[in-house]
Amino acid sequence: MTENNFWLKKIEISVSEAEKRTGRNAMNMQETYTAYLIETRSVEHTDGQSVLTDSLWRRYSEFEVLRNYLLVYYPHVVVPPLPEKRAEFVWHKLSADNMDPDFVERRRIGLENFLLRVASHPILCRDKIFYLFLTQEGNWKETVNETGFQLKADSRLKALNATFRVKNPDKRFTELKHYSDELQSVISHLLRVRARVADRLYGVYKVHGNYGRVFSEWSAIEKEMGDGLQSAGHHMDVYASSIDDILEDEEHYADQLKEYLFYAEALSPRAVCRKHELMQYDLEMAAQDLASKKQQCEELATGTVRTFSLKGMTTKLFGQETPEQREARIKVLEEQINEGEQQLKSKNLEGREFVKKAWADIERFKEQKNRDLKEALISYAVMHISMCKKGIQVWTNAKECFSKM
Amino acid sequence: MSGGPPKALPSTGPHSLRDMPHPLAGSSSEEAVGGDSTPSPDLLMTRSFGDKDLILPNGGTPAGTSSPASSSSLLNRLQLDDDIDGETRDLFVTVDDPKKHVCTMETYITYRITTKSSRVEFDLPEYSVRRRYQDFDWLRNKLEESQPTHLIPPLPEKFVVKGVVDRFSEEFVETRRKALDKFLKRITDHPVLSFNEHFNVFLTAKDLNAYKKQGMALLTRVGESVKHVTGGYKLRSRPLEFAAIGEYLDTFALKLGTIDRIAQRIIKEEIEYLVELREYGPVYSTWSTLESELAEPLEGVSACIGNCSTALEELTDDMTEDFLPVLREYILYSDSMKSVLKKRDQVQAEYEAKLEAVALRKEDHPKVPADVEKCQDRMECFNADLKADMERWQNNKRQDFRQLLMGMADKNIQYYEKCLTAWESIIPLLQEKQEAK
Repeated sequence: MTENNFWLKKIEISVSEAEKRTGRNAMNMQETYTAYLIETRSVEHTDGQSVLTDSLWRRYSEFEVLRNYLLVYYPHVVVPPLPEKRAEFVWHKLSADNMDPDFVERRRIGLENFLLRVASHPILCRDKIFYLFLTQEGNWKETVNETGFQLKADSRLKALNATFRVKNPDKRFTELKHYSDELQSVISHLLRVRARVADRLYGVYKVHGNYGRVFSEWSAIEKEMGDGLQSAGHHMDVYASSIDDILEDEEHYADQLKEYLFYAEALSPRAVCRKHELMQYDLEMAAQDLASKKQQCEELATGTVRTFSLKGMTTKLFGQETPEQREARIKVLEEQINEGEQQLKSKNLEGREFVKKAWADIERFKEQKNRDLKEALISYAVMHISMCKKGIQVWTNAKECFSKM
Repeated sequence: MSGGPPKALPSTGPHSLRDMPHPLAGSSSEEAVGGDSTPSPDLLMTRSFGDKDLILPNGGTPAGTSSPASSSSLLNRLQLDDDIDGETRDLFVTVDDPKKHVCTMETYITYRITTKSSRVEFDLPEYSVRRRYQDFDWLRNKLEESQPTHLIPPLPEKFVVKGVVDRFSEEFVETRRKALDKFLKRITDHPVLSFNEHFNVFLTAKDLNAYKKQGMALLTRVGESVKHVTGGYKLRSRPLEFAAIGEYLDTFALKLGTIDRIAQRIIKEEIEYLVELREYGPVYSTWSTLESELAEPLEGVSACIGNCSTALEELTDDMTEDFLPVLREYILYSDSMKSVLKKRDQVQAEYEAKLEAVALRKEDHPKVPADVEKCQDRMECFNADLKADMERWQNNKRQDFRQLLMGMADKNIQYYEKCLTAWESIIPLLQEKQEAK
């Protein structure tokens, strides 16, 4: 896998195109879907030029398979999210249709972002299935399925959905879970309101366009005022049409927020936190089991029956057992206790390992999140500054026209 | 609350109607308004002459009823100073100081009317009286009666139609005060109307009600004679120039109506936008409580959006208080002008009818009888007055709209500038820790 590391460090991945396709699905019914072209370029170390090494087409569902695979095999990693399956948080202009070109375009960018995030993750980038996803068009699905991850995914899913109580969870994970729940809630709220804000802003700008027409009509009956009115009207039209680009840019900001919304979903109920709980629960159960076995052993050895056991009952009903029988039982229990202690030790170790690895990745994720969101906020502010400057420009132009009336 | 010393009144003495400079004097004749020597108590302004484009911000500390919206009256005063007719101005009228009066029967507002004049028609150089809306209404009716050949400026609407507006709210009273001030200034500006008897009494009488009860008004000759014209005559055709005026007024009123609707719609959309913004900003605040490193940046964004919201609210208030009322005023103006046009038609119709009657009599000496001559006189006077008023009105309209629309542009510019400042100021906050890292 070392050649992967080396290779992946010097490659460029892009999702460069999207194409509508029709085909037959598993139930042999015709369906329309979008396919995305993934191009991989390796960068020559000598002259920095990039050469196209691989290009293949994938559809969204294949990305999903890849992600599910990564979730199963890297439970301690915060796996990057995919862009949304269906358009959510739309404001009226954008359609919620998956075939809408704007939506497809934004999804293309989201998928590219996903691949880049995986490729830049210190652990995930080394994965062979990921490598094959980028390079092996046909047969990839079969290869993934051969890993048997599907079965693991199913059982994992079952486990994730089970309810149980953990007695001593790591406090950090509890806090993390709490944080990710709150984060999801606040970002969802933010996205919803932002969509409404965008909708209203659109209305404000567009209504100004009506001034253009009426000023033009009015200028027709005026002598000296005519020119000023007419040219001012033109600026009102410019103002009204400027909102389209502005809101287009804002969608990009919304997408950045969405990515972290989905990241937050990946943190809590699924993957990391839950996995930790599972392991912890497992550990606690094993410890409990061991403790009860030890107790039984002790009772047998000392002849006291403190705990209720079926054996104890039958002994009472059907008479005491022979010392040989007792010895045999003690031996069995002692073996089990030994095994149990070994298991507990290794489970403990496993648990601690997991916590260590998971926490390392969470720290990495936190730093990435802070960096990314700060960038997003900065570019959001820059967007608004540009919008304000445009507004000032247009109204200053209009004012000048009015002054010439 | 300080104002400049009263401007020294020119000692040119009173002018008779004939000597008054024609309202068309010079293409750059500004809106000639009076009332300069008592600047509105809330404004300290730097006078910068000849700079029509400058809308001055409030120079001093605003008090009570002040607001940037007074910039329109500010500009009025500015143009006044710039006026080339300045030397001939000898009458200044201001409306200010609204006060609420609570009586057993009713509650109402009065405004202080301050007059300064060197005209011989005024016994004293200065007057200060209190008037309420119905007094203004009375004055306008009297003017229409006594000067039917002239265009009488409109009053702000008597009743508030739209929505549940508080008649005694500061905004409503201020909007009305400005409109009443404008009304009186337009009359002051008019070479004929400003000498009207009723106007004089309105400005000076201690007890206006007593005068009202008199019911006797001194009408000008023209006024009296026009009053007696019954509507029995039908005009064959309007002369071209008056037909053109009529058509113009029709289209003008239509376009203004459309602009009024658009402006209202914009304000409505802006208010709805504001509602959403007021929910949007605080969500960033909530988010910041979850974060550590991002807490300050998020809080900064929240505050920034708050500032933009405030700026937007100021914009919508300004537009509602200053822009819409002036539009509506002009629609009323053009309506009253159309009725004056109709009256003119009546006078012409009477004349033509009488002329025709004479022609049909088949007299040997086709000498035109005295009363037909009188009719002709009347018609020609009316036509002249109306034409002169129309040109004056066109000029003033141009100035008023120039100012109004520049004001609108200005308010929007100010709004964006406030938002720009807010966003620019958080960039360093957002970038800060990153560099420190």
